[in-house]
Amino acid sequence: MGWEVSESCVDSLLTEMVSMYCNRLYANKPELAASRIDAIGYQVGHQLSERYTMERPRFTDHLDAIKFICKDFWSELFKKQIDNLKTNHRGTFVLQDNRFRWVSRMSLDPSENGDLSQENAEAAENKAAQEPNMHLHFSCGVIKGALHNLGIACAVSADPSHLPACSFVVRIKP
Amino acid sequence: MIVCVAVVGHQNNPLYIQSFTDADDSLKLRHIVHCSLDVVDERVNNPKKSGPTLNETFLGLLYPTENYKVYGYLTNTKVKFILVTTDLDVKDADVKNFFRRFHAAYVDAISNPFHEPGKKITSKTFAERVSTIVKSFGLSSTG
Repeated sequence: MGWEVSESCVDSLLTEMVSMYCNRLYANKPELAASRIDAIGYQVGHQLSERYTMERPRFTDHLDAIKFICKDFWSELFKKQIDNLKTNHRGTFVLQDNRFRWVSRMSLDPSENGDLSQENAEAAENKAAQEPNMHLHFSCGVIKGALHNLGIACAVSADPSHLPACSFVVRIKP
Repeated sequence: MIVCVAVVGHQNNPLYIQSFTDADDSLKLRHIVHCSLDVVDERVNNPKKSGPTLNETFLGLLYPTENYKVYGYLTNTKVKFILVTTDLDVKDADVKNFFRRFHAAYVDAISNPFHEPGKKITSKTFAERVSTIVKSFGLSSTG
């Protein structure tokens, strides 16, 4: 049994959430907005991992849990698996998605707002660069919440330098 | 028939406990559930070589007391389901089926955005679904 939601609804919801937290609620405090968005993602990831691990046998170690995130969890959320997984075998994992769905439709061109003077162009570019970062905070929260629910304490950060390809760095706390 | 079901979180905090007999027994049933948590921990940390594989979610019969049998189930997220029953001849397949449906109801209950993780489950829908599952367990094992 499952319910379906159209993907454009999810995209609109995420866009509106980021916009509300960045522009209305915490307009001048991007760090607070980022941590709130991360917390929302954390709760979502927490609940989703409960649902998606339902029929599975238990995981034996951290690598199994990370592989679950890369394969099953990502397929349920984005209908594809993580494209590349790297590890340094000392608790750090890099999950790379070559076309991350939630930012794949975002415009990355900073010069959208008509005529701008030099300072405004830089400020607009900074602001435009922040938008996908805020979306990525939500995705990092989702991964972090899912892993915490599986018993793995970790910190997750995202590397947005080559959008729409996105890398998530997971550092497991010893 | 089933006398008690319980959901215990990963820090051994009770999330849901419901007994299906007279109120006099409820303290004793809570005590039984509490003792069975130790057995669950022991099973998970010291796997017997001849027992089921380490990765199974269904832990099987935990221990029989004088009148009751206690079954356990451990999810991937370290949440434990405990089932206390007075039936003498219960098939493992029936109990596994029960736990599968119970797990589905639990997942739906905690997907509620108003539910706080770690706090008790207060959803009436969950309570109704659990009593339906409990009633149909009784029917399927005697029928």
